[in-house]
Amino acid sequence: MQSYRLLILPFLILAVSFTILYPNFADRTLKIVVREDVYSLPGANQKELVNALFDRWAKDYGKTSGWTIEPQGTLPPKENPFYIVKGRFITSAKINQISQENQSLVSESKNKLEPTWIEETIRGGKSLSIKLGLDLQGGMRVVLKGDFDDYTSKLKDLYAKEITELNLTLSNPATKPEEKEKAKSRLAEIESSFDLSPMRKIVELEKAKMIIDNRLTTQNLTEPQVRIQKEQDAIEVSLPGVSNSAAILEILQNTETVEYRLEEPTPFLYKSQIADNERRMMDLGKRENTDIFLFQELVKNKAGKKAQDEFLEGLEKKYNIPKDFKVYAMWARGNAAKSALLPRSFVVLERKIALSGNDMTNAQPSYNSNSYGWMVSFTLTPNGAEKFFDLTSQNRGRNLAIVWGDKVISNPVINDPIAGGRAEISGSFSEQEAIRLANVISEGALPIPLSVLEMRFIGPTLGIESIEVGVKAVAIGFFLVMIYMIFYYRLGGFIADLSLLVNLIILAALLTLMDFTLTLPGIAGIILTAGMAVDANVIIYERIREEIEEGRALSIAVTRGFENAFWTIMDANVTTLIAGILMIRLGNGPIKGFAITLCWGIVTTLFTSLFLSRLFMELAVNRMGVHHLNLRPFFFGKKETTNA
Amino acid sequence: MRNINFTKYKYFTLSFSFLAIVFGFVVTFGKYGGFAHSLDFNGGLRTVVELPADKSRSDLDGYFQSKNIEAVVILLEKEKNIYQLDIGLGSLATIEALYKEIPEANRESSTSAIDRFVQLLRYEYKLPKEKVLSADQVGAVVGGELTEVGITLLLTTLAIILLYLSIRSQFKFALASSIALVHDILMTLALIGFLQIKPSVPIIAALLTLLGYSINDKIVVFDRIRENAHGKDNLALSNIINVSITQTLGRTINTSFTTMISVVAIIVGGAVELYDFAFVLLFGVIVGTYSSIYIAAPISEIYDQLRKKRFV
Repeated sequence: MQSYRLLILPFLILAVSFTILYPNFADRTLKIVVREDVYSLPGANQKELVNALFDRWAKDYGKTSGWTIEPQGTLPPKENPFYIVKGRFITSAKINQISQENQSLVSESKNKLEPTWIEETIRGGKSLSIKLGLDLQGGMRVVLKGDFDDYTSKLKDLYAKEITELNLTLSNPATKPEEKEKAKSRLAEIESSFDLSPMRKIVELEKAKMIIDNRLTTQNLTEPQVRIQKEQDAIEVSLPGVSNSAAILEILQNTETVEYRLEEPTPFLYKSQIADNERRMMDLGKRENTDIFLFQELVKNKAGKKAQDEFLEGLEKKYNIPKDFKVYAMWARGNAAKSALLPRSFVVLERKIALSGNDMTNAQPSYNSNSYGWMVSFTLTPNGAEKFFDLTSQNRGRNLAIVWGDKVISNPVINDPIAGGRAEISGSFSEQEAIRLANVISEGALPIPLSVLEMRFIGPTLGIESIEVGVKAVAIGFFLVMIYMIFYYRLGGFIADLSLLVNLIILAALLTLMDFTLTLPGIAGIILTAGMAVDANVIIYERIREEIEEGRALSIAVTRGFENAFWTIMDANVTTLIAGILMIRLGNGPIKGFAITLCWGIVTTLFTSLFLSRLFMELAVNRMGVHHLNLRPFFFGKKETTNA
Repeated sequence: MRNINFTKYKYFTLSFSFLAIVFGFVVTFGKYGGFAHSLDFNGGLRTVVELPADKSRSDLDGYFQSKNIEAVVILLEKEKNIYQLDIGLGSLATIEALYKEIPEANRESSTSAIDRFVQLLRYEYKLPKEKVLSADQVGAVVGGELTEVGITLLLTTLAIILLYLSIRSQFKFALASSIALVHDILMTLALIGFLQIKPSVPIIAALLTLLGYSINDKIVVFDRIRENAHGKDNLALSNIINVSITQTLGRTINTSFTTMISVVAIIVGGAVELYDFAFVLLFGVIVGTYSSIYIAAPISEIYDQLRKKRFV
């Protein structure tokens, strides 16, 4: 390793690492958003809420942190309804605390830690600060209860047609007795599936747990814990250091499904009825009275699913739509490139689900360069492929609507029967939506809708005291180790310390970049990394000293020392790496957190001890004129002479 | 350099370790009926309370000790004097009995254990309702599945290390390292059981750390043995082992010492809830170092002797 141009590499890596770590130390800006409804409260109530915030601010939030808050002591203006907090080390736990203790004042889901310029440039605004686990800083715990009533009503939709047919068979006097018997038993079988035994509930909860697990993994949360609480038919989710709870909750609870439903037969009796009425309104110049305009307003105002469902049910009543059909909105983008996905018209679909999401798998989003839009292609299960073929051959000329959640996203005409088991959904998707739709199809939708039973922010499992003392102790420990290394190996020890520091900085940057959540086992992994990094250097120096003692010239001794130590260090680290990778694959929670830091720690240790230390050492010996290398401790090693 | 005869004591050290492990487990299961219970592994009651300013951790600790309730007290917020109290399932009967001693007027009838504990606490510390910030009966966080995953993990890890080391060096070294690793885990578990240390997430972390440390240590020693044994098949292995261990002794002492500095810093530092973690880790480092020299090396020697006998 004679080329000292390589020296540029560590500096480059360090510069990148420091850049990545910068947001942790930077002055940051937090926007605490005031709830809209606060402004319509009487002045006295407003004052009370504001005073409560600033009392707590003086006593707790701002006391030791040195943060500033603007505007002081009053409500921010309505057109800019937020407080600006500036300071260092703003943690998600603290943001949560402020939101939770001032719930009537603060609109928690909209609070935002402004990204620093670095986050803006490298991550497009995504956070780059180190996240601390539930055991270190607390976090959010949500208990979600399965809504089995909704589940059965969906099941009834799925069997709706078959039930009607079976009832018809039963009431038809021309049916043979054995056929009647058969229909009766099938009907009983279907009815029994609506009746949920505790076992069935657990099975459904297990499915939901798996899907939640998947969804959380794609959210880059490292140590979420998802457990089933059998006693209350609920799923408990622990999310360390989660600040944006509303967004996560939405992801958890999302019960979006994908399904095919046939549109009412031509000539679209009900649809045209609605359309005629809408047109009449338009002609009268009452655009704001049209149903589609009202529905759009509902969506724009973020009214929940329930309000939207009620609106559509209202339409069904207004137009006397029979029970076998259901009104849906057809969603699309406007003509402008970035216009929002909004309901554009109403369609009437069969209540019966023609093909459900369970029949589809393996969805992939892809860009369609012909239509300049995103689409999703997927595979049908063998059973699904058969159903799809039957469906398309029996209903030629009819429209087959694709319903995503409760949005109709396209309703192509069936021209020919489709066989082969592959299909595509095109609609006016953005890339994000195409990915989401593909996820819904691949992971499957939540089998049961979940409602929040309990949501709590909890404190760390280790006490504040222990964390403070622990961090201090680890820091002192590192410091002592570094002093000891210099005492024992002198210049060599200094180089080892240097490479240990670089090692820890690179490791921290790597973990930050991977959105790792640091927990106590993670810290244990870092301590082990430091121990093994020191060990690698000790092995090398002992080897160099042996070479010196055998009378070799210094530069040769250094080279040979590194070469002799190479395989020992490799073997030790590779075996540990294997163990670590296994732990990541098999383990969960605490084991995984430990193993991730350990594995990355090994990678950085190999780099710093085999490459960086060597570079520094050879530089010192060959270029900087170090002629004596004494690798014996001060006071004890004086008698030993070293070779030049 | 003077050569130290490490392998001379091999039968003594091997039997010492064996007896220590057996003793530890006999006490654990014979005297205590198994490992200690803990909230993380068995579940229990968890309450968070805000105490009056004049009460401190030692008051709580003293109270629980005097009433014979197993409790872990964690200080969550210094300024507000907020504590988290974890009560193991083993103390439910004691709480039940104490609850019955509360004067009728001060207790609302309740059947759930957590309610009873909260009432006991409120009565004892004269706490108004809103000072009990949360109270739950919690299930095990890591318990069952962790034990299951842990055993699979350990066995698979050992198998792969065995394979890797067999390929990189020789089977006897691989075998000896694996046995020594099992020895380290068993020794530490025996200690955890003997001292009735409560299993928890930090303890798991400590076990994993010592496993990593121990693998590292064994490989360094064996690499030297392998290097020294290269091309000297006719020489007695015990001699090579002794030379190699002596050669690496400086490194072994230095590494163990530097690792221990960080661990001891945690113990001396006084982080109450990290004490068990650091203690187990400290023991693990000592056991790991001891087993590389006195367990792993002798086993490889014994294996070597047995094999040679068979072929002669």
